[in-house]
Amino acid sequence: MIALLRSELYRTATIRSSWISIAVFSGLGAFFGTVNVDAWALLAGMGAFGLAVLGVTQHFQHRTAVLLYLARPNRLLTLLGQLVASVVVAVGFAAVSGVTVLAKGDLTQYRDTLTLVPVMAVFGAANAVVVRRPTWLLLGYAGWFVFVEGLLGRLTAPLPFSSFLAAGGGDRTGLLIAAAWTLLALLAAAITVHRDITTD
Amino acid sequence: MAAMIEAIELTKQYGRVRAVDDVTFRAVPGRVTGFLGLNGSGKTTTLRMLLGLSRPTAGRALINKRRFRDLAHPARQVGAVLEQGISHPGQTGRAHLVTQAVLAGAGRSRVDDLLEYVGLARAADQRTGDYSLGMRQRLAVATALLGSPPVLILDEPANGLDPEGIAWLRGLLRDHARAGGTVLISSHLLAELAQLIDDVVIIAKGRVRCVAPLAELYGDGAHRLRVRGRDPHRLWRAFERAGGRVSSNGYALEVVGLSPEEVGELAFEARVPIYELSSDAPNLEQIFLDLATA
Repeated sequence: MIALLRSELYRTATIRSSWISIAVFSGLGAFFGTVNVDAWALLAGMGAFGLAVLGVTQHFQHRTAVLLYLARPNRLLTLLGQLVASVVVAVGFAAVSGVTVLAKGDLTQYRDTLTLVPVMAVFGAANAVVVRRPTWLLLGYAGWFVFVEGLLGRLTAPLPFSSFLAAGGGDRTGLLIAAAWTLLALLAAAITVHRDITTD
Repeated sequence: MAAMIEAIELTKQYGRVRAVDDVTFRAVPGRVTGFLGLNGSGKTTTLRMLLGLSRPTAGRALINKRRFRDLAHPARQVGAVLEQGISHPGQTGRAHLVTQAVLAGAGRSRVDDLLEYVGLARAADQRTGDYSLGMRQRLAVATALLGSPPVLILDEPANGLDPEGIAWLRGLLRDHARAGGTVLISSHLLAELAQLIDDVVIIAKGRVRCVAPLAELYGDGAHRLRVRGRDPHRLWRAFERAGGRVSSNGYALEVVGLSPEEVGELAFEARVPIYELSSDAPNLEQIFLDLATA
């Protein structure tokens, strides 16, 4: 488990596109924090989701999932390791990008966001294990967010991203609903992680 | 510790298609087993089931009497080369190997040695996306060797390798088997494979057509003589009287069961001048095609 976590973190740190993305989004988040704290919170939350999705789906996109499961055939433990790695990366990113929010003294927003970020990272990583393709997942959720949660639900329905937004604003009920959606995603991931690794 | 690979009545069904059907064979320590089949014959699916990447519909895939997923330290027991050299294109060769070494619980100290061993030391800090196919295959071999496993399973490992690389790989695999390791290799480069393997498993349309030592598969073909002389009829009779089995390809006689010395003496006794006497090299490709398309 520790070896898997170390390997995942080392991998993230040594893939140029990964650490450049994290660095750029951290800088952007720090800038947002000076201008608008809500904008930083949104970027931190969506960034956590996106980084988790990309961290997991890269394994399928570049076929390194084969090497991952050859070295670690217990897929549930591997899933757990990937979730923990996603949380570590996401929390690190959010914590660093929020330094300007901390400097401004908005401790409540910083705390609420950092409470939500691990949940979003787990939600993203679990979904990535189910879908395996980053484009399908990110475009699918973009469409879902705009049309279902935005237009139909008016961002108030108890749906994943609406509850993430509410939780980011300090709403405890929103956080509980977000956690429930995350548990559901985890359950789906735990079932589907055993699927065959195909050659396509 | 040497370990055996066993496929026991292994079956994989995709919907109505039975990709692998009741496949049974063994690959044993100290020998290189060639796994031969046409495209779509079920080779890769079988190898993936052996490695726990696909779940069999029926049957068992065992390495040292255990399913892959039940192996305590899989990377220290089995090294695999699959697909076309898997790595993240944004990672350097060295970073890729360190990632895999950490993951597999192998020492980082092996990384530089392996890079040297596979001939990638000078390209170690280059991104693998810039590697040629041959370099990626060498990196895949290094990845497979990280845990010093006794079992090697390789799916088309020679793809993209230049002749020097193929010779290097052949030497590596032969040395591995000589040291008591088990090697299971699939390849469509049959001429190359013929120089490497000890045992053959031929699969066609998902079913095993032949499991045999290569020498047994060659059988009489290993001693088939090709004889051309002035009077083929008289030669034919002379060879048959001496116990040879004779056939003709329309141009020369093909003689089985007699040595070149015997054929020469018989022709001399029959007073028939010989224009050609050669030994046909066994042809794995022909044997394979005969069995695979039967």
